[in-house]
Amino acid sequence: MSTATAAAPTALDAPQARRRRLVRNLDPLLLASTAVLVAFGLLMVYSTTRSMPHPLAYTRSQMLHLLIGVGVGIVLVAADYRTLASGWRWLYVANLLMLAAVLVIGRSSLGAQRWIPLGPFGQFQPSELAKLVIVITLAKHMADRPGPYRSVVDLMPFLIHVAIPMVLIFRQPDLGTALVYGAIFAGMLFAGGARRRDLAALGAAACLVSPVLWHFLKEYQRRRLMVFLDPALDPRGAGYGIIQSKIAVGSGLMWGKGLFAGTQNLLQFVPEHHTDFIFSVIGEELGFVGGLALLALFLIWLWRGVRAAAVARDRFGALAAVGIVSMVAFHVFVNVGMTVGIMPITGIPLPFISYGGSALMTMLWATALLLNIGMRRQKILF
Amino acid sequence: MDHETFERRLVVLFTAVVALLAVLSVRLWQVQVVQGDYFARLADENRLRVTSVAAPRGLIVDRAGRPLVVNRPAFTVALMPTEMVRPHEEIPRVARFLSMDPAEIRQRLAAGRERPFEPVRLRRDVPKDVIAALEESRMDLPGVLIEIEPVRDYLYRELGAHMLGYLGEIGDADLRRLRADGYESGDLIGKAGVERVYDRYLRGRSGELQAEVDAMGRLSRTLRTIPAVPGDTLVLGIDLPMQQAAEAALGNRLGAVVAMDPQTGAVEAFVSHPAFDPDLFSTGIHARDWNALLHDPRQPLIDRAAQAGYPTGSVFKIVTATAALELGLVNADTGFYDPGYYNLNGRIFHDNENEAFGHLSFLQAIAVSSNVVFWTIGRAVGPEHISEYAHLYGLGTRTGVDLPDEIAGVVPDPAWKRRVYHQPWYGGDTLNTAVGQGYVLVTPIQAARMVAAVANGGTLVTPHIAVEIRAPTGQIVERIAPPPAGRVPLSPQTLATLRTGLAAVVTRGTATSIQIPGLAVAGKTGTAESGHGKPYAWFVGYAPADDPKVVVVAMVENAGYGAEFAAPIVQRVLEVAFGMTPPAQPGDPKP
Repeated sequence: MSTATAAAPTALDAPQARRRRLVRNLDPLLLASTAVLVAFGLLMVYSTTRSMPHPLAYTRSQMLHLLIGVGVGIVLVAADYRTLASGWRWLYVANLLMLAAVLVIGRSSLGAQRWIPLGPFGQFQPSELAKLVIVITLAKHMADRPGPYRSVVDLMPFLIHVAIPMVLIFRQPDLGTALVYGAIFAGMLFAGGARRRDLAALGAAACLVSPVLWHFLKEYQRRRLMVFLDPALDPRGAGYGIIQSKIAVGSGLMWGKGLFAGTQNLLQFVPEHHTDFIFSVIGEELGFVGGLALLALFLIWLWRGVRAAAVARDRFGALAAVGIVSMVAFHVFVNVGMTVGIMPITGIPLPFISYGGSALMTMLWATALLLNIGMRRQKILF
Repeated sequence: MDHETFERRLVVLFTAVVALLAVLSVRLWQVQVVQGDYFARLADENRLRVTSVAAPRGLIVDRAGRPLVVNRPAFTVALMPTEMVRPHEEIPRVARFLSMDPAEIRQRLAAGRERPFEPVRLRRDVPKDVIAALEESRMDLPGVLIEIEPVRDYLYRELGAHMLGYLGEIGDADLRRLRADGYESGDLIGKAGVERVYDRYLRGRSGELQAEVDAMGRLSRTLRTIPAVPGDTLVLGIDLPMQQAAEAALGNRLGAVVAMDPQTGAVEAFVSHPAFDPDLFSTGIHARDWNALLHDPRQPLIDRAAQAGYPTGSVFKIVTATAALELGLVNADTGFYDPGYYNLNGRIFHDNENEAFGHLSFLQAIAVSSNVVFWTIGRAVGPEHISEYAHLYGLGTRTGVDLPDEIAGVVPDPAWKRRVYHQPWYGGDTLNTAVGQGYVLVTPIQAARMVAAVANGGTLVTPHIAVEIRAPTGQIVERIAPPPAGRVPLSPQTLATLRTGLAAVVTRGTATSIQIPGLAVAGKTGTAESGHGKPYAWFVGYAPADDPKVVVVAMVENAGYGAEFAAPIVQRVLEVAFGMTPPAQPGDPKP
């Protein structure tokens, strides 16, 4: 697709001039929305953790990850994104090994193995980074097999590509992240030119398989899904989170109770309120207006992501951008949806906002990739 | 695929993204603006209260259905952590009412922090006058809850305490293990005895009350109730009159009494003294009481019938005799000469009182409990065979009785001594073992099972306290009849000799004092050196001798002769078991 219109570097492009042009091409709106989201996130992490025994510990840790994330992110912006693609097979295999390692040595938390301990450096959650790796490798894979995809069979290599890590993550078990893969896969295949009827067929197949998957879910996951349908089933157990979260969000009303003034937050009624349920505190303290503002920020970010896809100079860049947008959009929808009771509790963090170093760094690197793709765009704008 | 198609699809994707965000916005509007007032009210008026309704614990009854353990209603004071207005003032006040330490209340509140909408129980079984005083100050103490909850009531206090067990708040380790089964922090759980072993039947299922409450903590609307399901009734094989007789006969001496059906292994009486009052635990034991029990030198918390091993003295001769008979070394009529001492390679072993029985048959040797004869045959049988037959009788292994923390006891042999003491086995060890001294350690419940095997023809039954589990409605949920643990290979001749010998113990041997008119009793005395103070007194017996229905074992610590101190206990229990009123003793007051 875009290779036909991609500009070949001209002799006039001296290295400095090219670098200057690239910097000029950095998307200011994407940068700005990311910065505001991250700042917002730090503020909310502070708000939700300041009544804990070490008030600043969480915020400090989050800032540390922010610094590392930005540092690595600058490198990711500076290097041409296409170099990332060159070793995609190795990247893919390394990723699988890492996910398998979690199953073996991962440290258990809340009944799930998601972390690899890194000694003094704390711990690392490979499934977060794995999402980005899958986006990059699948984009390259699809760029190498550009289609046209005439049947479901043509989509099979991509399905296998995503299914293997998905199963590993499902085994951890991390239902939410496994579903994110589904969203990434659907978004990229759709943008990449798969026929609608083939995608519909895959969707139908997924629905047929889900009763089988139900069988593999852990007891607590089944309970969460059942309680999603009827929170009153277990108001002190799994339904507790949903009910308390709705009370928190709802009681924020139009303008919120004010930053640091959320009673549900202070009394820690909402479980996991600095990680997965951080939006319920946002809703409580900043109200409908604050929640809407946050959604608007995400809208800007996603819009700039779609734009990066549109202007990408090659199929790899375009599809990678689509994958990132799908991933973040799904995260936002499921996470916020869960706090207001329209999505089941699956343990997916809110991008840029939730406490969690691996997730924050992954989101920063995803942003870096979008900036990179948008920066090295086609010469001819439309 | 051309770029136009790609862009068209991008537009579709972005539209989907916008749609998703729009759905979220609409939902936020709905929750925060449309229903916002409702949630705001829930959030600041302390809204939803979910309390669990304790299930009445299952009853424990004896084999005739006579209640042993029941429940009585009592007041529980709890605290809703989220409803307190000024905790730093309120907690000390509540503590004063309940005569608790404020620090303890804070500790309990901290423990219940994961579920702030659940009341934290502070004290169970609070006296009525305290409740009345609390009610008067209720308005100043928001968050204080007074609930009526069933409290365990052990009708006969210390009777069968070790077997019945007691309750306590669930510990962290148990909680982690049992959370999936619906146990929650603060729950009472059986900590010992059948209360612990059958906890999952007895506990029932607690109900739940979901309600909205107003700012004063008063219920304004009940949203949902799930009734509590009472626990199942546990029917024991215990016979209350026999149990009472055994308790009274042992009195305040230290020791144990076990009565059992030799055919089924159903335990009919189970006594360990000194005992404790399980009621002390029902409402959370006071630290002072707990320390007193823990540091009492008489160790009342130890179940002497199943958690303590003793040398058995001559009771063990049943094992030595069986080995010698089965190995063909002796028969009932084999003649021996007992000069009152035994010469082991120049070392002289004297019988207890230097008593010389002279010429006697093997049968007579059992009846009069001649140590010299059993030393002689013990040497011939050898330590390995003695150990082998002891194991066949189930010594050295847990009986599998339905009580926690049973011990296995010790059956020594040369390999065991090498392993444990790193010492060789001496001839004297064989002599000691042959008469139940030295390293031999047997629990009274093991002794009962051993005698039951002689009484029933060789079946090694599995003793069990409980016989049935019944639903509160009376239907049988489960019959408890554990299969035998094995068979002791006893030839008819061996069995006949043993039974004749044990009958002779009572008719013309060491225990003639316990004959019961109209009831043929068989048994064996034991007087075991304890190494400190007077010997342990043992008697193991069964009746009727020709068709055994009941086995009774009594052991009294540091008392003296088995015939003098243990046998009368067995006699008393057998009298009650067979409904025989003892002849009035001289000096007894006339009724």
